[in-house]
Parts: sequence; structure tokens; C-alpha cells
Amino acid sequence: MIETTFPRGFALRIRPWLGIAAAASFAVASVMALAWAPTDAVQGDVYRIMYVHVPAAWLGWLWSKRPWFDAAAVASAEIGVLFTGLALVAGSIWAKPTWGVWWTWEPRLVTTAVMFVMYVGYLLLRSLSTDFDRRATRAAILGVILVLDVPIVHLSVLWANSLHQLPTVLRAGGSPALDSAMLLTLMVSVAAFTLVYLYFMSARVAIELSRRMTIWGAAGAQPPRLP
Amino acid sequence: MTGLARVGLVASRELSAERRQPDGAVAAVTFVAVLVLLESLVVGPSRARDATVAAALFWIALAFAAIVVAMRSFDRELDDDALDALVVLPGGRDALFGGKVLALAATLGLVALVGGVLSLVLLDLPLALPVHVVLVVVLGVVALAPVVVVDVVLALRLRARAALVPILALPVLVPQLVSATQGAAAALTGDATAALAWSGILLAFALVYGVVGLTIVPAAIE
Repeated sequence: MIETTFPRGFALRIRPWLGIAAAASFAVASVMALAWAPTDAVQGDVYRIMYVHVPAAWLGWLWSKRPWFDAAAVASAEIGVLFTGLALVAGSIWAKPTWGVWWTWEPRLVTTAVMFVMYVGYLLLRSLSTDFDRRATRAAILGVILVLDVPIVHLSVLWANSLHQLPTVLRAGGSPALDSAMLLTLMVSVAAFTLVYLYFMSARVAIELSRRMTIWGAAGAQPPRLP
Repeated sequence: MTGLARVGLVASRELSAERRQPDGAVAAVTFVAVLVLLESLVVGPSRARDATVAAALFWIALAFAAIVVAMRSFDRELDDDALDALVVLPGGRDALFGGKVLALAATLGLVALVGGVLSLVLLDLPLALPVHVVLVVVLGVVALAPVVVVDVVLALRLRARAALVPILALPVLVPQLVSATQGAAAALTGDATAALAWSGILLAFALVYGVVGLTIVPAAIE
């Protein structure tokens, strides 16, 4: 019964292709980042970590736009924790040779670290709730509150006068400050990370839905119709 | 009875319960007082007199005190099975949230008064702009309360909630703590413009989280 009611729709059919596309684009992005993009005149090869750091930070914020779908929310939150953690670690490694410190109390860094802790709190809240409906409600409410923090992160870039690299891609007016090859490599890296995110997301949503169906089946209840 | 009257009723009921059984407020006042005393021992008397350091420790202590008071308040409802009765009343959830926020802000005001006087006396802090200090403290307390009540509601009836509530609340409170600390430090050292600017930000936080809480949190009260 559970097997027959589990959705075998479009999302399941495209997942293997999404995985292949993610792996291929990730390989291309890695080659471009490590071999094709030129060495920065000031920072040397160290700047290449930007191709991991920037897309990871970008994806760290993505989850908060999908709070209405509980399974997608938990999948995105877990991936958000992974990518935000990756962005913080990669940023720290990048900061040491360029700024001379592993960490600085710059507002955007601090806010990202605070967001990381918020994600962890969100997952902790979910893990302590056993009832699916109540857990979804609590998590959605917390998700909405945490989303309020995202504009603070963005505005801190504009308000703070600090060590952190100014926005290089989405600047108000003017062309991006990067070399064109660096910019292309960064864009490919962002695309690769986005595909990786989508692949992780679809797999995690499927796992979450399957888990719910199994629990409902074990309880002897009629499983609800899944999207 | 209007919604505002219901909120007032819940708040006054909450405050009279706190007056009869003031364990939450007493614990919060003691906690803040101990932290103020520890401050000069831990960081040294000269650094403790720095307005920013003193203000930061004061607000961190107040944030923890807010969590203690709010958790005790909901524990009292759960112990007496009073929460279910409140929730089923017409508009009960909105009134419960609003009343709890008002009562928490009032109790925190008292805690802040005691902690503030202790800080001023023991640390010999300058008090350049007393009216501005009061303004920052009032707005800071009002900005803390909705977030703390929201997080206590979200963790209601969960195991390990004593650990969960600070983990949920403190990261969300970072902007309020930064603004309140900067505002208080500016008021202590005589920078009226900065104190008023930070007060405005605190007012904005209080409004945003108050409205968000009233809109969505009643759905989470079980």
C-alpha cells in the first residue's frame, strides 16, 4: 500500500538526470576554478576559494524562501546548514592569507554565523517535536521569524564599513569588478552549486516523504495523498 | 470585550500571579545582580566601568532573565492546567500572546531597574543622559519581550526546552542586544543623537516582532 501510494512522478524521473547534470557542472566548475581562471594580481591563487565560498553563501540563504512546504523546508534547512557551514569554513580559509586573520568581527561574517546557529536551532526544534503537524507549524513559524534576519544580512553589507570584500557581482550600478574569466568561472560555480542543491533537495524531500509514509503505515493509518 | 481589553486582562492576571508567587522575577533579579557583581571581578574594575562593556553585560543578563521569567510564566500555566482554558476562550490565543508580552515587559522593567541601579552604583558608571538611558531601557525591554515569548511558545511542551529556548531566542535577539547595548552606551557617555537613533531601531524591532508574533504565534499555542 505504501509503495503504491508513493509518488513516482516527474520529480522522481528527473532526479538521476539532475544528479548527472550536477556532477558534470561541478566538475566543469572545478576545472575552471582551479585551472582556467587567471591568477589574481593581488591575491594570487588564494582567491580561487571564492568559487566555493560565494555560491555556498548564496545557497545558504535559499532555503528561507521555501518555508511553506514542510518537507522542502527541512530539506532546505539541512542543506542550508551544510552550505552555510561550508561558506564560513571556506571564507575563514580565504581570509587568513588575504586579511591575515582566520576570523574578524565584521558584521556580515557575524550575521552569517548567527544565521548558521539559527539553522541549527531550527533543526533542533524539529528534532524535538514528534507530532508531524505540530512540528510543521512550529517550524514554519520559526522559519518566518528567521527570514526576518535575511534583510539584516543584506543591509549589513551596505551599512558596514569593514574588511569584508564589497559585493562584486550584484552591485548597484556599474559592471562587476571581476575579470571576465573569473566572473564566468564564478557563475559556473554558482550554477554547479545550484544543481547540487536541487539534487540534494529532491533526494532529501523524497526521503522525508517516504519516512512519513512509513510512520503512517506502521501506525495503521491511511496515508494522505502526497503532492 | 475588545481584544485590547482581553490582552490587558491576561497581563494583569499574569502580573498578579507573579506578585503572589514571584519566583520568576526573584530569580531574574538575582541572576542580573549576580552577573553585575561578577562583571567587575571577571573583566577587572577598570574595564567593567567601560560604558559599552557594562551595557553589553547588562543586556545579555536581561535577555537571560527574560527567558527565565517567560519560561516560569508558562510553566505556571501548565502546572495549573490553565493554558487550555485560556486558549479556548474567544480570542484567547491572541490575548494570551499579547498579555504575556505585556506582563513580561513589565516584569523585565522591574528587573532592569534593579540591575541598572546596581550597575550604576557598583561600577560607578557615568550617567550623562538619564532620560535617554530610561528611553533605551524601556524600548529595549519592549523589543526583547515578543521574541522571548515567541520562542517559549514554540518550545512549549517539548522535552529539553530549558536548553532549546536560549538556543532559539538568543540568535534572534542579536539585533536587539546590539541596538540596546549601543544605545545604552551612547546615552551613558552623552551621545544623544546615537542614543535616539538606536532607540528608533529598538522601537522598529518591537513593532515588527510584536506584529509578527500577534499574526502567527497564536497558531502555535496548543
